[in-house]
Amino acid sequence: MDRIECQWCKAQNEMGRTNCTTCGAPLDKKDLVTDSGWAEAPRLRDMTEFRFSNSVCQIEGEIVPVAELALAQGDSVFFEHHVMLWKEPQVPMSALNTGGGMKRMVGGMPHILSVAHGPGRVAFSRDATGEVVVLPLHPTMEMDVREHAFLAGTHSLDYSFVRIKGLVNVLHGGSGMYMDRFVTRNEPGLLLLHGYGNVFQRTLQQGEKIMVEPGGFLYKDSSVTMNAVKQNVKTGLMGGHSMYLAEMTGPGRVGIQSMYVHHGSE
Amino acid sequence: MTTPPPQGAYTCPYCRMASDGGGGTCPHCGAPVDVRLKVSDSGWIEQPPIRDMAHIRFGHSTCQVSGMYVPVAEMALHDQDWVYFSHHVLLHTDPNIRMGNLPLKGGWKRMRAGMPLIMMTAQGPGHIAFSADEPGETIAVPLAPGRTVDVAEHRFLVATGNVNYGWQNSNVWFTTQDGDDEEWHYPVGRTIDQFAATGGNGLLLLHAPGNTFVRDLQPRQRILVQPGGLIWKDSSVRMFLHFEYPHGQYWFTSSRYQAKSTWLTLEGPGRIAVQSVFERPEGTGYVRRTSGATTHQW
Repeated sequence: MDRIECQWCKAQNEMGRTNCTTCGAPLDKKDLVTDSGWAEAPRLRDMTEFRFSNSVCQIEGEIVPVAELALAQGDSVFFEHHVMLWKEPQVPMSALNTGGGMKRMVGGMPHILSVAHGPGRVAFSRDATGEVVVLPLHPTMEMDVREHAFLAGTHSLDYSFVRIKGLVNVLHGGSGMYMDRFVTRNEPGLLLLHGYGNVFQRTLQQGEKIMVEPGGFLYKDSSVTMNAVKQNVKTGLMGGHSMYLAEMTGPGRVGIQSMYVHHGSE
Repeated sequence: MTTPPPQGAYTCPYCRMASDGGGGTCPHCGAPVDVRLKVSDSGWIEQPPIRDMAHIRFGHSTCQVSGMYVPVAEMALHDQDWVYFSHHVLLHTDPNIRMGNLPLKGGWKRMRAGMPLIMMTAQGPGHIAFSADEPGETIAVPLAPGRTVDVAEHRFLVATGNVNYGWQNSNVWFTTQDGDDEEWHYPVGRTIDQFAATGGNGLLLLHAPGNTFVRDLQPRQRILVQPGGLIWKDSSVRMFLHFEYPHGQYWFTSSRYQAKSTWLTLEGPGRIAVQSVFERPEGTGYVRRTSGATTHQW
């Protein structure tokens, strides 16, 4: 039987479908890829629906999209509390202790993640123009995400956080002290991110490098290494300045956002 | 069989450069060629957004604009071409791009004006990309040799190496009195950037929040715009302040104190461009001194 492969998440879909059932990406539109190989994250159509486990996610709006989840009994999602837009009163809530209390306090990250359980509906959005990025994660996948950039993760994902290695990376990397890490257990999971502006993804080959503005970094496969590299810039005033770029080295995917707070210049 | 139109058969209404009109977009500014010109009743031309993945040609290089909310300008630089930009707009670059810096004069004044002190350069071959930090449109302004445009602060994204960069005081200011203190206001910024093409066509890329509208002013024709709405203008266009004072019911809501409208008068000849998102100037305060302004009380 003929199937359509989603160019974004590689899931197989029935012929005739216009949106991927796994990530919501349009199947009837050609991928937009720049000359240098950056693929635009699929622009999800207003009211697009896709499924995870026994639940449904619907994306609403286009400027600051809302991810509305219809959670089935037994399904749950975790999230940072400030991204919750609304929820039905009967949706049971619980807390996920992230551990590392003092470290997270120093890193400016929440100590507790909220968990919403089905059945019921809950919706998430962030605070600026951007795109929802849907990343289905298959077993053995590990994804590192810029702090505060994730909207929600499904119950089958393990959440942890990793310290960004190297003082230079922490001080000048523009991504804070920690990155969120999501690892799949035995069953596939779904990760929803919000990127400011537009989101682009590039897959680096083994050893391939790309320099990225640290504030533009959004996510990467954990196999991609990230190092802050100093760029010396001379000026006539007071000698010189420096800026830092994040050197990303493959193999793996790198996601960036086009609207960012500039970091790393002094 | 269709015959391709001759070179120069199409003149882009947005950048006024000639091309063959093929390919769906203007090769000089990226504007779509197959859309109807939208002109408001009063004469403002709506600048259409550059289509996702459209290409602009300059020198031996190309610029590809991608994204819709905060577009990215990705350049494929030939080894003979270079561009300059403020470091905070750099999004990503190939490691082999050669980076340098452009000497800027008047560092102290630029620091006081909140303008970047460093203008970086990038020399091909390789890819390098730029984006701004707010939703809006990327605007391509191709510059024919000899043409000079003035650009409002913080709108500049990147320019090709054959475009001369300079800056000067905007000379648009006023002061208000607050007790014994005199407060200075710069409605279009302390400084204004100037760009002029030399030795061939140059390309200037700007980023403007909201939507962009352009219009041509005839000699001595005037239009009042919000000072924060100005994106760029031909250098031939003169600008100065204009204050309007409504007559309030009480003395403290009346003229010269509250509900003052601060306008920027633009006087032709030349082209101007404005953005639909702008910072509103402060409305209160007695205007004590100005850089030269007209007033109207009503």
